[in-house]
Amino acid sequence: MAQPMIEFRHVKKDFNGQTTIKDLNFTIDQGELFVLVGTSGSGKTTTLKMINQLFVQTDGDILFAGKRIKDYDLRTLRLDIGYVLQQIALFPTMTVRQNIGVILEMKKVPRKEINRRVDDLLEQVDLDPEKYRDRYPRELSGGEQQRIGIVRAMAAKPPVILFDEPFSALDPIVRTQLQDLVVELHQKVKSTIVFVTHDMDEALKLGDRIGIMSHGDLLQVDTPEEIAQHPANEFVEDFFASTVGKNIYETPVDKIMRTGFSVSAPEQIDSPVQVRSNDVLEDVFSKLSNTPIVEVLDAKGQQHVGWIDRKAIISYLSETKH
Amino acid sequence: MSDLIKTFLDQKDQLWQALLQHLEISMIALLIAVMIAVPLAIWATHHPKVAETLLQITSVLQTIPSLALLGLLIPLVGIGSVPAVIALVIYALLPIFQNTYVGIDEIDPSLEEAADAFGMRPIQKLFRVELPIAMPVIISGIRTAMVLIVGTATLAALIGAGGLGNFILLGINRNDTSLILIGAISSALLAIILSALIRLLQRMSLKNMLISVGVLIAAIAGGVGVQSLSKPVEQITVAGKLGSEPDILINMYKDLIEQDNPKVKVQLKSNFGETSFLFNALKAHRIDIYPEFSGTVLETLVKDDSTKKLSEQGTYLKAKKLISQQGRMTYLEPMNYENTFGIAVKRSFAAKYHLKTISDLSAIQDKLHGGMSLEFINRKDGMVGIKKAYNLDFPIKSMQPSLRYEAIKKNDINICDAYTTDSQLRQLDLVTLQDDKHVFPPYQGAPLMNDDFAGKHSKVVDSLNKLKGKITAKQMQEMNYEVNVQKKSAAGVAKTYLVQHGLLKAGE
Repeated sequence: MAQPMIEFRHVKKDFNGQTTIKDLNFTIDQGELFVLVGTSGSGKTTTLKMINQLFVQTDGDILFAGKRIKDYDLRTLRLDIGYVLQQIALFPTMTVRQNIGVILEMKKVPRKEINRRVDDLLEQVDLDPEKYRDRYPRELSGGEQQRIGIVRAMAAKPPVILFDEPFSALDPIVRTQLQDLVVELHQKVKSTIVFVTHDMDEALKLGDRIGIMSHGDLLQVDTPEEIAQHPANEFVEDFFASTVGKNIYETPVDKIMRTGFSVSAPEQIDSPVQVRSNDVLEDVFSKLSNTPIVEVLDAKGQQHVGWIDRKAIISYLSETKH
Repeated sequence: MSDLIKTFLDQKDQLWQALLQHLEISMIALLIAVMIAVPLAIWATHHPKVAETLLQITSVLQTIPSLALLGLLIPLVGIGSVPAVIALVIYALLPIFQNTYVGIDEIDPSLEEAADAFGMRPIQKLFRVELPIAMPVIISGIRTAMVLIVGTATLAALIGAGGLGNFILLGINRNDTSLILIGAISSALLAIILSALIRLLQRMSLKNMLISVGVLIAAIAGGVGVQSLSKPVEQITVAGKLGSEPDILINMYKDLIEQDNPKVKVQLKSNFGETSFLFNALKAHRIDIYPEFSGTVLETLVKDDSTKKLSEQGTYLKAKKLISQQGRMTYLEPMNYENTFGIAVKRSFAAKYHLKTISDLSAIQDKLHGGMSLEFINRKDGMVGIKKAYNLDFPIKSMQPSLRYEAIKKNDINICDAYTTDSQLRQLDLVTLQDDKHVFPPYQGAPLMNDDFAGKHSKVVDSLNKLKGKITAKQMQEMNYEVNVQKKSAAGVAKTYLVQHGLLKAGE
């Protein structure tokens, strides 16, 4: 098995003599999109900030690419870890281009190469370089700013990128767009991503694996499907269940697929009714009222993802109460 | 208004020079203050507890009255531009320090966190993130400091640093509103223009800003360099006390010296200050020559225990001997006129009470309201001696020399001190009362210089000795009147006298 990218070994963290994190042990694999989810005060952000040593653990070891983080030169380590902040924190006196290029410049990348890479990155997040590269952050909307925040963290192609609740201040539509963007970029660049959120839906949507934290403890680390199907304890179960009941009509099909409620393929079917993974249950309901089973394709309508029928939907919805 | 324009045209050259001097002192002080306060504030942002203390220290410094600060600096660093610059730097520290500290301290912590997380070194963080963000606040602190400096720099004239304050002091001394206005308006305009320039600086990037400041420093250094390079073979500095009479005399010195010594350039520092300033400046070789009175030498500049009354000649010879022994200074031959203290009243007042001598005053003591200069009130050859010798005691207010004449004109006071050559005696129709008990020592003017200077410049000594026995009290009073009342230039009046009396070739 490949070496884990990040490993926590008996990590403890005190703030002013008060223990916030007691004894943390887990690994994050190379290329994984790992989500830490929990309520506020659960210790998820503290855990994240110990990876780039904004907080230094009181006890225990964190391994980065197999080597103890304490043995790294702090600056070298940080240059290898991208960071996206909840407050976005674009530098207000720098243009978009300068913001994106700031780490590249510190790494002494030639100016021409920086400009080329900035334009390329802007295109990847659907912002026209001509229009955006010389703007200042204050001239951008919140969603545009965080797109720049994301590419700023990615610009130097770091092996690890940390996201600290990056979308919690954005409105739901922009949030959804940016979540899709993160998934898309992650597939493209294969960096290891550690993503902190308090939103279980966001965790289920993004995470290859999810770590659920509460009061400084890591309760369960698993795939979205395992967390939904086999919660480790009541807290995890409730945490998942609480997300099911809200906005039933707005729930994307994707969530049902990822949490393991899909069904196997029917024995034979001609030209099945199709939905896309980003369609919401409202669409599916109207379709399932006429046909027993629908085929789910990916968001672009190209790849087959799986099947759902009335029974699958009912058992997903029944997760709200136990 | 036309008065103002005329004075402006008359003084154009001096104004330009004073403006440059003012600018130089202000800019040097501002740059030094920035170089001290900005790094200190940056350092303090990492030490919040020290920052609080530093902020309080700079606030306390700010509250010291500027006049007192200048006075306190004299025994430490002497007179001239050095103490002026130091005082201005001290005043400029608070706004620059405070704004730099606040500007950096109030940066959104998430920006600091981002900079740290991206692996910026502290110095990179400072120049790429902190300073650019805090710059508008820092610049506004520098602007506040600059306005403060340009305003306070007018006081620098009091300690011989020159600048636009000279105009204001001279204006007060001569009771010439136009001069005061020119000094004040120029200083205000300078502040406004500089303020606008700094605002321009604010729009630049940090890099361009540093370049501009670098160019400015180079320009000042270059200016100082060129000044010292372009000095003629020999430069002699002649200074004079406040007022028109010393101003006229030093212009005569200049004309005489330069006529006989073509390779020598004489620099004049008129209205340089009071007696002790000039004497200390001479001792420190900051100036080379200044005209001094024999009585003043004996009374204040040397130690002399005898209280024997001396004649004119006796006073001069004793002064010359003692200053040579005690101060290693050479006191050249005196001029004819005697400018001694006098007690003056209006001619009408004297007639009404039949006043001819100071003794006559004792009969009407209860009707007297005096206004006299602080120096005169406290001198033992001044009011202290008069009170004792004539057994007088009447209320006296201390006033600026020029203000006491204004006061007697308006009948706020009815008796004042005077110098016997003052033009105002004629202008206001005042009479001086005879010193029948001979309290006032004879005061004859003559050039004073250090022995080593006199030794090396025998030709200069010869030139100055041409004034020996020249200029009567009436002539001096007339010249003072021309400068003070008719607003002629001291240089012009001096030249006219010298030419009329065959001491200077006409047309020079």
